[in-house]
Amino acid sequence: MKQLLTLAVVLAAGMGLSVEAGLLGPLGEMVGHMSATFCIFLVGSLLLSLALIFAPRRSLPQLFSQPRWMLNGGVLGPVYVVVITTATPLLGVGTTMVAILFGQVATGLLLDHFGAFGAARQKVDGYRLGALALIAGALALIH
Amino acid sequence: MSFLLIFLALMGGAALSVQSSVNGRLGGAVGLLTTAWLTFVLGALISVLLMLFAQPPQAMTLLDAPRWQLTGAFFGVFYIVAMVFSVPRIGIAAATVAVITGQLTMSLLIDNFGWLENARIPLDPHRWAAIALLFAAMALIYTGNRKREAAG
Repeated sequence: MKQLLTLAVVLAAGMGLSVEAGLLGPLGEMVGHMSATFCIFLVGSLLLSLALIFAPRRSLPQLFSQPRWMLNGGVLGPVYVVVITTATPLLGVGTTMVAILFGQVATGLLLDHFGAFGAARQKVDGYRLGALALIAGALALIH
Repeated sequence: MSFLLIFLALMGGAALSVQSSVNGRLGGAVGLLTTAWLTFVLGALISVLLMLFAQPPQAMTLLDAPRWQLTGAFFGVFYIVAMVFSVPRIGIAAATVAVITGQLTMSLLIDNFGWLENARIPLDPHRWAAIALLFAAMALIYTGNRKREAAG
């Protein structure tokens, strides 16, 4: 029962990601795609800063003693948000999400296969390759 | 034009995947909340530069837009918090599939009804067939992830 409830929360969180994309597209058309992107990161930073202040465990000091490359993941965030706000009004939310999913699964497969960024190497397996083929089919159909 | 946009969206997904791989390592060291904080602060710094210097002046600014249209980040942050809470409880395999299922369902609903001032793209037979393929893909991802979780 508790597991089912947790699953429902995660399902709702996933729905939220599409609502976010659905809000971003029209907003970007109105005020500019870069401004819409900035709005996401500004409000997100403020919310998470509040969360950090009240978080039980403080790990901010440790952050800056990590290797530099580990701190650079965040520079890719704006790439994703700019793409969503630009593509959604022209492709629709569904097509955009499926295309993103394809890029995500394909890249994840490659990163795991070569053990990039210090992760354990996991060879490409039939499951994910099959999933990738099905997502490609869905992308062709949905568009 | 739309081919180019789909390619762009694929690149966006690739960026997301690289980001979560790097962030996964950082999250292991300092925790997910701090990692998410850094990601958003970096994103804000980069996007304010883009907004000021890489965007033609607009007729409307963020402050003129209806406030409900500015709430996107709440959903993004809710997603992060939900994952921090849920992954240890239900495992990454189930969480991944649940997120993607929620994401795809809601995106098709928004398209179908034109919610949030988006253009209407009705669910036609092609889209239903795509949903069937996506379900099969989710089943494969779930099984593969479970196998890997079991292996360790």
